Formats: sequence, structure tokens, C-alpha cells
Amino acid sequence: MGRRFLTAEDVRRLGGPAIAVDADTVVTPQALEAAASLGIQIQSAGAGSYSPPTPDRGPDAERALKTLSHLPEPGGAGSGDDRGVIVTVIGKNRSGVLAEITAHLAAADCNIHKVSQEIVEGYFHLILTVELGPGASFDSVKTDLEALGGPEDFVARAMHQRVFRFMHRI
Amino acid sequence: MAPFTDNEVLDLIRMVELETLDIRTTTLGINLLDCADPDLESTCEKIYAKVVHHASKLVETADSVAADYGVPIVNKRIAVTPAALVAGASGASNLVPIAKAMDAAAKEVGVDFIAGYSAYVHKGFTRADHALFESIPEALDVTDHVCASVSLASTKAGINMDATARFAQVVLDTANRTADRGGLGACKLVCFANAVEDNPFVAGAHIGIGEAETVLSVGVSGPGVVRGALSRLSPDDDLNTVAEVIKATAFKITRMGELVGRETARRLGTVFGIVDVSLAPTPAVGDSVSDILELIGVDITGAPGTTAALALLTDAIKKGGLMASSSVGGLSGAFIPVSEDQGMIDAVRKDALSLAKLEAMTTVCSVGLDMVALPGDISVDTLMGVIADELAIGMVNSKTTACRLIPVPGLSAGETVEWGGLLGTGIVQDPGRYGCASLFRRGGRIPAPIQGYRN
Repeated sequence: MGRRFLTAEDVRRLGGPAIAVDADTVVTPQALEAAASLGIQIQSAGAGSYSPPTPDRGPDAERALKTLSHLPEPGGAGSGDDRGVIVTVIGKNRSGVLAEITAHLAAADCNIHKVSQEIVEGYFHLILTVELGPGASFDSVKTDLEALGGPEDFVARAMHQRVFRFMHRI
Repeated sequence: MAPFTDNEVLDLIRMVELETLDIRTTTLGINLLDCADPDLESTCEKIYAKVVHHASKLVETADSVAADYGVPIVNKRIAVTPAALVAGASGASNLVPIAKAMDAAAKEVGVDFIAGYSAYVHKGFTRADHALFESIPEALDVTDHVCASVSLASTKAGINMDATARFAQVVLDTANRTADRGGLGACKLVCFANAVEDNPFVAGAHIGIGEAETVLSVGVSGPGVVRGALSRLSPDDDLNTVAEVIKATAFKITRMGELVGRETARRLGTVFGIVDVSLAPTPAVGDSVSDILELIGVDITGAPGTTAALALLTDAIKKGGLMASSSVGGLSGAFIPVSEDQGMIDAVRKDALSLAKLEAMTTVCSVGLDMVALPGDISVDTLMGVIADELAIGMVNSKTTACRLIPVPGLSAGETVEWGGLLGTGIVQDPGRYGCASLFRRGGRIPAPIQGYRN
């Protein structure tokens, strides 16, 4: 473990035309200022000019990557829940809502697995279980759907299926 | 893909859209022990650099997870190693520059609070602890985002009454320094018995010395969701049913918290710490713990039966949370911050909720006397007595208790102060006419109770 920080005090003490720091050393803003005003160059390990290192989150950090290992994704990464989206639409009943929504989903390369719709006293709710195709991204589908309808018409939402699985399945 | 029933889907949509389900806070804990330096100015530089270095992506990452999962993350915060531990090496007698460095870093990365201007003094003071105590009033006056906390007691150590007396004076000084803002400084100052090292909720958040380099924890909330679930029960359902409904609801919101917490940690590249499952009310309508107690069956919060109802609530939340996640930590239970809960504000206004009843409630809630306004002219020994009583409850019952008391300058019992925002409305409570000057004068330590000797 090398020097963790380089402070303005360090810069003044070390002096010289250049100060070399380890790749993981954080140079404080005050040290950069002091170096600039004294004409000292701060160099990272590769003799280049200093650029801030990526944060070192410590020896435990690799656990972060295995963070959900006790709750594995069904079918592994890249399939199953990763591609599952639940679309809900709630609003006043009128003709053509289902067609409008499904047309958007088809255009976005989404495959609908399940459709459920009910109408109660002039209002409807529609729930679609959707699988994103290889060409679809969750963000664009979500933004697309949420732009449809309106406060006087209907509200459409898209959520990752994973959220529902976490909440409702043990 | 496993199919979900319509009810399951609509359940979640209702929670988010109508019952204000949210992740109350994602808190990044950052260890600052390696920032210790013989020179205070260098210590401050390192603290600023390290916090900014590790937290610069926190807000952006939390927002991206919130957008992806459709659950709002209300606050992004930072908890750091107790400042007194970091400052010790400098030998400085005024630690305000550290608070300023923390504040500047919080502003730079855009979080709403940075907590950990703290000291552990449940058994005694170091020079640095003493310096930190002395500097708290100024530090909380001149900064916007810094929160301070001190540990004054534990089941293992007893109550450090010298520190408690000194702390009471610090609370008064802090409130007086911020008199123009209704004593706002004291809203950012808390003391603990049995302080927890992984608490993500401010004002008491800090990262203990047993924690990793950086660790991301979340606090989930959701009084509105529990209230919604209980309001669908029939008045004839018995208390077992009530407990079951609360447990099932707590399970769901904890799972949500763990998902969001783990994903945020993964994207930041840091370890996931804990989910704190606490019902944390806000002044918003419906987001009230008091409403839940009333739905369980008391006329108004503070009426006889309130402590029993709160005991049921706190326990059921813990059980649901523990089933949902192996990483439950922090304070986990129900918070009763008086000024932040519209139902409690109303109860105080109607004279239903006294300071004595609040103290009784804290024996079964998860924190303590939280956001309680007191008269500005309260004597230091009376204030110490209120705090010591609360610490004694924590010490004897092996639980965390805390005090966040605000002596509002210029106001007396029954008067109202508006702190605004999440801090809400304080109605000054009456601590009674009698004090404990003799107890104050004695000083020393209340020895650890027999429960502390479990080896």
C-alpha cells in the first residue's frame, strides 16, 4: 500500500521539479493548486501527468460483484428476469388502448407473454408480461410507453419483472 | 418467466403510486481513518478529497437505480468515521475546520446530509472527543449539511453522566447559536445509548470502526404502505391478523430495499451493508406512524394503549424484515420523530401526547425521543435529566435509544415553531416544574447494569 493522499503540505515539503505518485494515490485539490503555483509537476506511476485514480473500495469490494449470489437470476444473467418487463396501464375505458400499447411494444421488438385486462365501472387496468427482444432496451421501451396517454386518458408504466419477483417470491 | 397474478402486480403499483413507498435513504459509508494527519489542515484536505473521490457518483447512481426499478430514492447521504477518531492525530483543539471540509464535500457531490461529526464517549473522553464536543455548536451553526452524534451510554459501559451533562450544555449552546432559525442546529445533533455502527439514517449516521472501506446501506420506509394495508382490514379482525398484515407488508418493503441497495452497491463497485427497516414518517399526509397506531385501535396517539400498539408494530416490522433479508441492521423498527409526523403534531396540539407518554413509547420503539421541542429556557440539569432517563431505558433494555431534543430559544411550552421541509412543525413540550440539580452536580458514571455482564 503506497501513499494514500498527497496534500499541499506534502507538495511543499517534497518540492522539486516533479513529484511521482502511485497509481492509487489521491491528490487533494489543494495539493494540485500548490503544485501549480510552485511550478511542480505531479506525475502518476506511468510518468504521465496526474489523473485521479478509480476509487479503491477496499479488499471487500469484490463482494459487490457477487452481490445477489444468494438470489440467483432464473436462467442466469442475460436471460429470464433480466429481459422481463411488466407493463401496467390504468385509465378511463375507451376503444383502442390495447392496440395502441401492443403496437408500440411490437415496434420495439418486444414479445408479449401474458395479457390481462379488466374493466370496472368505466375504468380499466391492463397488465402485460413482456419479454424484451434482443433489439429492445428497457429504457427506451419505458420512456416510449410513459409518453403515451395522458392524465385525462390513461397512464402506462413499465417496471422490471425482477422488482415483482423480489417483492412477491421467496 | 414466472407469471404474476394481477393482484400481485397491482399491489406494487398501488404502493408506489398511492401509498408513497420509497427508499428513504441510500447512505454511502466512507472510512476516514486513513485521513488522520498530524496537521489539521492536511486532515481536512484528505477528508474532502476522500469523500469527493468515493461519493462523486453516488447521486447519479442512485438516480439511475431509482429510474430503472421505478421506486423513488428520496435522499442520498454520506456517513463517515466518527470525526474525533480521525482528528486525534492532529492534536487540534478546534475541530470546526473538519466540519467545514465535510460540508464542502457534501455540497460538491450533491448529497443532502453528511453525518459522522461524532465521538464515542460512553466511558470517557479523549482530548479529541473533548475538542469535538466543544466545537459542535459552532460546527452546526456554520455548516448546512453536517450532522453530529455522540455515544453517551451502552449496556456494557453504563452511562457517562459527565458526558451527558456536558452534552446537555452543548445542545443548549447549539440551539442558542441558531436561535434565528428556531434552534435548527439542534435538529442535526443526536446522542445515543448503544449506538449502532451501521445506521444509515441521519442525524445519527456514522460508520463504525468494524466496517469496510466503503459500504452502501439503505433505509427503507413506508408508513403509508402499512397504513394502507391496515385500512383494508375489518375493525373486527383480531390483533394476530393485524400483526400478520404488518409483517407481510414489512417483508415486501424490505425486499424492495435490499434489491435497490444491492444494485446501487454493485453499480458503485462497493460492498452492500444493511437494510434498515424503519417506518420513518414525513409531514406528508398519510406518511404517518401515528395514523398506524390509531388504525391498530387507539383513539389518538398518546392515549392509553399507545405503547402496546407501538410494541406490536415495532416487533411485527422487525419480524417481516428479518424474514425478507439476512442483512437487516441499523435501527430497524418504528421511528417516532414528533415534529415530522402530522398525526403526532396533532396529538401534541390536542394535549393527548405528553413528554412522559413519549418516554414510555420509546421503551418499545426503535429509537427514542426524536425531534422533541422543549422550552428555550430549560435548565441544563433538567435537560440532562431528560436525556439521562432516555439513556437509562436503552442501557437497561439492551436497545438503542437516542435523543434529538431542541430547546427552542424564546419559546415556552405550548408554542409552535416551523422548521420546514422534512423537519416539520415543533410544538414545545412541557418538561414539568422540577429538575435534578443534585444529580447533575454529582457527575461520574452510572455503572453498567447486570444485563451488561453476559460473558
